[in-house]
Amino acid sequence: MSLDPTTLQAGDQIPVWERAGTFDHWNRFAAVNDEFAGHHMDDEVGRHEGFDAAFIMAPLSHAYLHAMLRDWLDDQGRIVSIEMRLRSPLLRGRTLRAGGQVTAVRHEAGEIIVDLDVWEADDQDVRLSAGPATVAFPA
Amino acid sequence: MTEQPEVVAAETVETMITDEMRAVVGEVMSTSLAFPIAASDIRKWALAIYFPAIPPRVFWDEDYAATTRHGGIVAPEEFNPFAWMAREPGPGARPARFGDFEGVFGIAPPPYRAVLQSKVTARYSGVRMRPGDVIHSTDRIANYYERQGRMGLQLYTVVSVAYENQHGEWIKTVDTEFVRYR
Repeated sequence: MSLDPTTLQAGDQIPVWERAGTFDHWNRFAAVNDEFAGHHMDDEVGRHEGFDAAFIMAPLSHAYLHAMLRDWLDDQGRIVSIEMRLRSPLLRGRTLRAGGQVTAVRHEAGEIIVDLDVWEADDQDVRLSAGPATVAFPA
Repeated sequence: MTEQPEVVAAETVETMITDEMRAVVGEVMSTSLAFPIAASDIRKWALAIYFPAIPPRVFWDEDYAATTRHGGIVAPEEFNPFAWMAREPGPGARPARFGDFEGVFGIAPPPYRAVLQSKVTARYSGVRMRPGDVIHSTDRIANYYERQGRMGLQLYTVVSVAYENQHGEWIKTVDTEFVRYR
């Protein structure tokens, strides 16, 4: 069912979006963003830096928040801002889950402005990131 | 990372922020000019972000994209047109050490043993990047502040990068907050 922005209200949930944390995923991002750091590609390097395994690139985590919002928006609206406060990186072998909740809805300059709290966690409920986001729909 | 700065008596304040560093807040660190964006750059970026799913067609299907409100292929908002190499300043233009933000001003960075990203904030105008666009970016140190954390005194540096297209239209600003500690 397509999103109807006129019915949005505080408390509405954004469908959870998931991606596995594997080298198959991260190497593709390394290839497009020229981001071949050892701690994203080698568990030993990740462990040497104090983590239990290799870990995701921060820009890819940020991109996943965008993808989660885009899937929800279904090209009806636009992303105005996303803030991502990093708490812990996704480790290789775990699965990232991204979601969000509407916190406020207002009308401004011919648009429906929707404020959100967005988050990422892994499949062991480790919180990876959180922050506010704003999207806008034509009124 | 939402803890508030610790309040301490003025005479006991230890700081990593020098007067030289304060003087460059807001000054331009660098500018870059990207090569024209190719449709394949956008397609490959979208494939990487959505893997293993098929990305939205507006990122790769020209016929479909022409029927949307965008009128053609657009890039995902977070697309980085500067990956691999910029037209200006060209190849090999990387800082001697990641985290030495002040080096471009001829200022020695404060001593630190590690640097991490702590926050990324992206703000978008609604103007999208498209195939053929030539993107210009301007980097600035937007702010410094410090906190006492588990690792001792931590220096937070906000690097702000503003992106414009060849028409001078603002596309986005990405503020990345880095934490350096000793």
